[in-house]
This record gives sequence, C-alpha cells and structure tokens, in this order.
Amino acid sequence: MSLVLEGFLNTVALTLLSFCAALLVGLVVAVLRIVPVPLLRGVGAVYVEVWRNIPLLAWLVLFVFGLPEVGVKMPLFWTAFTAIALYEAAFVAEALRSGVNSVAAGQGEAARALGLSFRQSLWHVILPQAGRRVVQPLANIAIALTMATALAGVVGVVDMTRAAQRINLELAQPLLVFTGVGLCYLVMAAGIGFGARVLERRLA
Amino acid sequence: MGRLFAVALLLFVAACSGGENAVPGGGGKIDALLAKAPVYTGQVTPGSAVDRIKKRGKLLIGGSQDAPLLSQLDPISGELTGFDAYLGKLLAHYLVGKPSTELLSATSETREPLLANGTVDVIIQTYTITPARKERVAFAGPYYQSGQSIAVRKGTSGITKPADLAGKTVIVGANTPGVKAVKDAAPTANIVEFGSDPECLTALKQGRGEAYVQDQAILVADASKDSELRLVGEPFTEDPYGIGIKHGDAEFQKFVDDWLREIGKSGLWQDVWKQTIGTVVTGDAPSPPAIAS
Repeated sequence: MSLVLEGFLNTVALTLLSFCAALLVGLVVAVLRIVPVPLLRGVGAVYVEVWRNIPLLAWLVLFVFGLPEVGVKMPLFWTAFTAIALYEAAFVAEALRSGVNSVAAGQGEAARALGLSFRQSLWHVILPQAGRRVVQPLANIAIALTMATALAGVVGVVDMTRAAQRINLELAQPLLVFTGVGLCYLVMAAGIGFGARVLERRLA
Repeated sequence: MGRLFAVALLLFVAACSGGENAVPGGGGKIDALLAKAPVYTGQVTPGSAVDRIKKRGKLLIGGSQDAPLLSQLDPISGELTGFDAYLGKLLAHYLVGKPSTELLSATSETREPLLANGTVDVIIQTYTITPARKERVAFAGPYYQSGQSIAVRKGTSGITKPADLAGKTVIVGANTPGVKAVKDAAPTANIVEFGSDPECLTALKQGRGEAYVQDQAILVADASKDSELRLVGEPFTEDPYGIGIKHGDAEFQKFVDDWLREIGKSGLWQDVWKQTIGTVVTGDAPSPPAIAS
C-alpha cells in the first residue's frame, strides 16, 4: 500500500511542479518569440524547435545518463522534473503565442498610440485578452504532461505506472492493476479539465 | 557520450526491427543445434494447440529482444540469439519441422493477457514460476534454474551478502525478478529501476546506487566486458524459469514438458546452454532442472 501511495504522490508532485515550471519557462519563451528584436525571436524559435521535436523519452535518458557524464548529478526526481518542464515549456510557449496572435492587431496598435510602451501594452492589453483564450490549450498540455510523467518510471522514478508494474509483477493481475491506475490518471485529468472550466469562466 | 550514443543507436535499431525470424539465415550456432533437434512424429489431437500450430506452420512466441544471453536481437544479422530464443526455435522445429517462429515483444504486464486471449502460443521470457502466476497461466518446465546476484563497483566495501543491502540504494532491472528478490532480502533497501541492463550498469557506474541486482548470468556477462564491475558472492535466490502456456491447457503443457525431458536427456539442452550462457559462465553445463510431472 505504501508503494501505491508513493507512486501516486510522486506522479502528482511531478505533474504539479513540472507544469508550474513549464508555465514560467514557456511564458519567457513566448515573450522572446513576440518581441520586436530579431535575435531574441530567433532564440525563442530555436528553443521551441529543439525541445518540441525530440521525444521526451530521449530527453529523459539524455538527462539522466548524459548529465552525470559532464559532472551534473541531480536526484532522479529532479532530473525528470527538469526534462519534463523544459520539454513541455516549448508547447506552453506556442499555446501562449497563438493566444497573443489571436488578439486583433488593432488592440496593440491602439495601446501604442495611447503612449504605452511595448511592455505595458503587452502586460495590460494583450496578455489579459490572450490569457482567457489559452486556458483550454494549456489544460490540454497539462493533461498531456500528466500522462507523460509515466515516462519518468523508465528512468528510475517510482511514479504511479512504475508502482503498478511492481505490484503486477507479484500479483500477475495486469487487467485489474492497470485499470486501477488508469482510473487514477482519469481522476487527475478530469480534475485539470474541471479547473480549466472554472478558470475560463472567471476570466471571461 | 560516444558510448551513450552507441547504446541509444542500438536500442533504436532493436526497436525498429520486426519480430519475424522465419529463416535461420547465417546463424551458425542455431544451425548446429537444429541438426540435432528432434521433430515430433506422434499423434495429434484435432483442434488441440499442437494441431493449431502445425496447421499455421509457425510458433508464436512472446519474449524479449533485449535480454543479453537469453533473448537478444543481433542488430547485424537480424537474428534472435540466446538461451530462450534458441529454445523457442527448437520447440518450433519440434512442432512444425522447421524453426519458424514469430516473436511478439511481451512485457510483464502483457504476458498473462497475451496467453489468455491466444495472441501467442507460448511465453519464453525468463518467466519465473510463482504460485500467484500459476493461478493465471500454466507452466511447462522449469527449463532453467536461475538466481539473482549482486554486483558493485570496484572498491565498494560493506556489501558482502544480501542483508547488507538494507538501507542502501539498489539498482534493479525494471520488471525483473530482482525487484522482489531485493525486497525480500533487504526490506529497507531503496529500489531504483531502469529499463535495460546497459542503463542499469551506467547508473551503477554513475553512482545512482551502491549495488546492482540482476540475474547472475547477465551479471557475469557484464563483468566479463567491464573491469569496473565486481560480483559479490553466489546467487541468493532460486528462480525457476518456465514456459508459459494458456491456463488450463494440460495437454499442451504435457507436450512441452515431454519435449523438455527429451532434449534434456539427449544433451541438446546442454548444447544450447554452452552456445549461450556457457560463453560467459565458466565450467561445465549444469544438468537441466527436474521437470515437475
């Protein structure tokens, strides 16, 4: 039973922490991609293309086994957290960027015409409008991230899926064990979906 | 990094290749074994598993492609090599007269369903016979008596027996019998699992754990290639590996048991051992484990 709890808590912690980190990094990358400075735009674009186009499992293996080779050794949980957060940040950045792009160009132009700086118009005019439009895309990313945390089990983190595999090794009841685990993920994902709907209503 | 890349590439190649191994092209070891292999000539009950496999002309096996010495896909020849893999081919030869097998990658969570719904005929995959599993599948054999051993980095002190693992971080192959073995021998040990043997080894060398528990044959093979690795003592568990068969099919179970007895008596079992596990474990081939009637 303690194994089940450990796996569940690790999955929840990994999901929450890495999604928060992905939001922060993704926001920075999204801003990089829309500022009117070509160099910074380039940096943002490279970040998104590199992180998004290499599978998460490859990132996890590279981080867990590659980083110690260059002298960086973190606990397995935090290594997995870093890889997942940086990977999902690329998707968050693109969701935020499309939200910003969906705000009519006239809004930004009007803000600038009123004398607001680029930063002011972004924070006070563009982002608040973009914010409510990206709630559902971000919820999608959060749910995908929840499922993706199962990959951390391959590199030594005892997450919910790994715990289930251990239990199944003794019980030899895969249908029962994995249906149970599936329901746990369902509850988590449904919780995220519910939260997103509440947030959307509040922002609207 | 170079080695890491090579490992990643190998894993990739292994994952991309299919499981079809109909023709023993260029596999010198298996050809020598097949020359001596028996073929079943007795009665076949219509509608039985043997009848089905004969009509299909091919044995469907659930197994691995990444277990060194046991069942590993050779990335160059495309052949499946190892103790489990060769036994599968010999069993196919016994059933249909030629080593026609098709391997489906099974995992510890898919083995029982694969057998129950008839996707595969047999599971040959270091499948330890346990009372819990016996309620879900039938086992022919045991065909091999294995045991879990402990390996440490050179220069590690304080680990001389399984009980010494208590409170330590122990690396174990994901979904292997080692998980339970460590839990039983040292309940307070902190178990860390990695997907494959090369990953476990890398993790041990990078200090992710103090010890690595794995099947002795695999550890011996690792140690023969890696001077940094030290084996500690003898195997501390007894894992009888069986051939998994659909639950309740006593007729097919007896058929496979009879075949195992036959190759054990004729010396073919020992030949398979010498070609695979015997290439890294020194000494004569052991005698095959006694088959429960």
